[in-house]
Amino acid sequence: MARMKFYCDSERCIECNGCVTACKNANEVPWGINRRRVVTIKDGQPGERSISVACMHCSDAPCQAVCPVNCFVTTPDGIVLHNKDTCIGCGYCFYACPFGAPQFPTDGAFSSRGKMDKCTFCAGGPEEADNSPEEFRKYGSNRIAEGKLPLCAEMCSTKALLAGDASVVSDIYRQRVVNRAASALLGGSGLQQTGFQPSVAGTGVTSVPPESGKATAEPTGMPADDVPPSTQVPAPLQ
Amino acid sequence: MNDGSVKNPGIEFWDAVRGHEGAETGQVRSQVTSIDSTTLINPMGEEWRLYRMDMLIPTAAIVLGLTLLAIVLFRLIRGEIKIQGGYSGQKIKRFSTFQRYVHWTTAILFIVLALTGVILLFGRYIVIPVFGAEIGGTLTWLCKRTHDFAGPAFGVALLVMIITFIKGNMPSRIDLQWLLKGGGLFGKHASAGRYNAGEKAWYWTIALAGTLVVLSGLVLDFPNFDQGRNTMMYSHWVHSIGAVILIAFAMGHIYMGTIAMQGAFEAMQTGYCDSNWAKEHHDLWYADMQEAGKIDEPTNEPAGTLQLADNKS
Repeated sequence: MARMKFYCDSERCIECNGCVTACKNANEVPWGINRRRVVTIKDGQPGERSISVACMHCSDAPCQAVCPVNCFVTTPDGIVLHNKDTCIGCGYCFYACPFGAPQFPTDGAFSSRGKMDKCTFCAGGPEEADNSPEEFRKYGSNRIAEGKLPLCAEMCSTKALLAGDASVVSDIYRQRVVNRAASALLGGSGLQQTGFQPSVAGTGVTSVPPESGKATAEPTGMPADDVPPSTQVPAPLQ
Repeated sequence: MNDGSVKNPGIEFWDAVRGHEGAETGQVRSQVTSIDSTTLINPMGEEWRLYRMDMLIPTAAIVLGLTLLAIVLFRLIRGEIKIQGGYSGQKIKRFSTFQRYVHWTTAILFIVLALTGVILLFGRYIVIPVFGAEIGGTLTWLCKRTHDFAGPAFGVALLVMIITFIKGNMPSRIDLQWLLKGGGLFGKHASAGRYNAGEKAWYWTIALAGTLVVLSGLVLDFPNFDQGRNTMMYSHWVHSIGAVILIAFAMGHIYMGTIAMQGAFEAMQTGYCDSNWAKEHHDLWYADMQEAGKIDEPTNEPAGTLQLADNKS
């Protein structure tokens, strides 16, 4: 069974906030609530990096552990969803979450917290019929039910933000790391001459033409263009 | 020592992301400006999770359970504490009307807060399995809201109560003797003034722990002042420990004030206590009252004959 994960490649993120905008638009998130945010470290300095962060859909989710009404559900796909009918707005998930994913609209007197809102991996709510108006009103869109991945990752202009089955996401990222290391070692120009091919155990891309790499990535809607052009030269020298 | 190995270029970056000590983060910014929005990973959350799930919930269950057990055992061993001389029918004014109003306002709010708080703490294991997520969620939501609204009111009531009851609650030398005699719980007589050391301990517990619980509760109750997660975690830490101590103490106080002791409840119910009760439990205060002429018909008859005095007044 797939385990859905996000990964943000900090070497690629350009802090365009496209994911934030896409998320707000796709899910019609209330004003003042952001399910996703981009954080820039060392802003304006050498070594500046940006990361887009939202609910990471933890396998052992702290929010789920501390909830006094047990309103969280992990779907078979590994997506952490919460039931807004059961949620009491206590804020415990907000304390426990390391990523600051849970968000709270203010509700009524005393500015009490309303029902918690967080990223659903574009999978809607845990109970309502898929893509019903009721589900959309409470949780936003359910792209997973339509066979699509979260809009933030789908729209990412540099493909920094990856979403999908954890093994596919990690394969893509591993491939990028290997390519970057090779590129750095060879000064960025030697790849074609050596016929370098990323060789990563278990990814299905070891010394095979890039087409099969494409086949691995396609079912989850992943871009297949992660292999730099230099490595796509078909004839290895050996 | 430089061993010639190449440092992983990711180390510095992930140190900064995790907010490790000494990591150089430079200026951290986010277009999204909400509470703690520039904190990428907050490791405190996990600490709090371990505190709440592995420490607070089991410890609170044990502390409150043992308190209940101790009360039940005490009841079985000691039984009801009777007025040995029986009711004399002679009443002494113990609490003013204002004091009783303050006491009961605080008491009712405390009970509401304790019950709703206990449900927030243990509800996941009790309310949700019994009522199901739909009804249990709504019930817990009502409890949370009631807790939110009763809290600040309790804060005001507590403040007035601390001021109203401070007279007579200052610790003195007699309290030490009272404590050494076990408060007379085991038969031996222990002298006490207007309040005994047990009551004084309860007063000071609710004054100090109560104040801490109210202050930390206000931090949790008003999330609109943009206080960060860590502030709220520390507050919850103080709030929960203080609340468990208060609830355990209150269980003892409620038992002693109602069914444990003959003649105790009427003092806070009517404002008057029986003179024999006062003589047996607050002898020094009784003597003071006698001296001040606050007792209508002072009597020096031995305790055994007082039964006959019932229809005298």
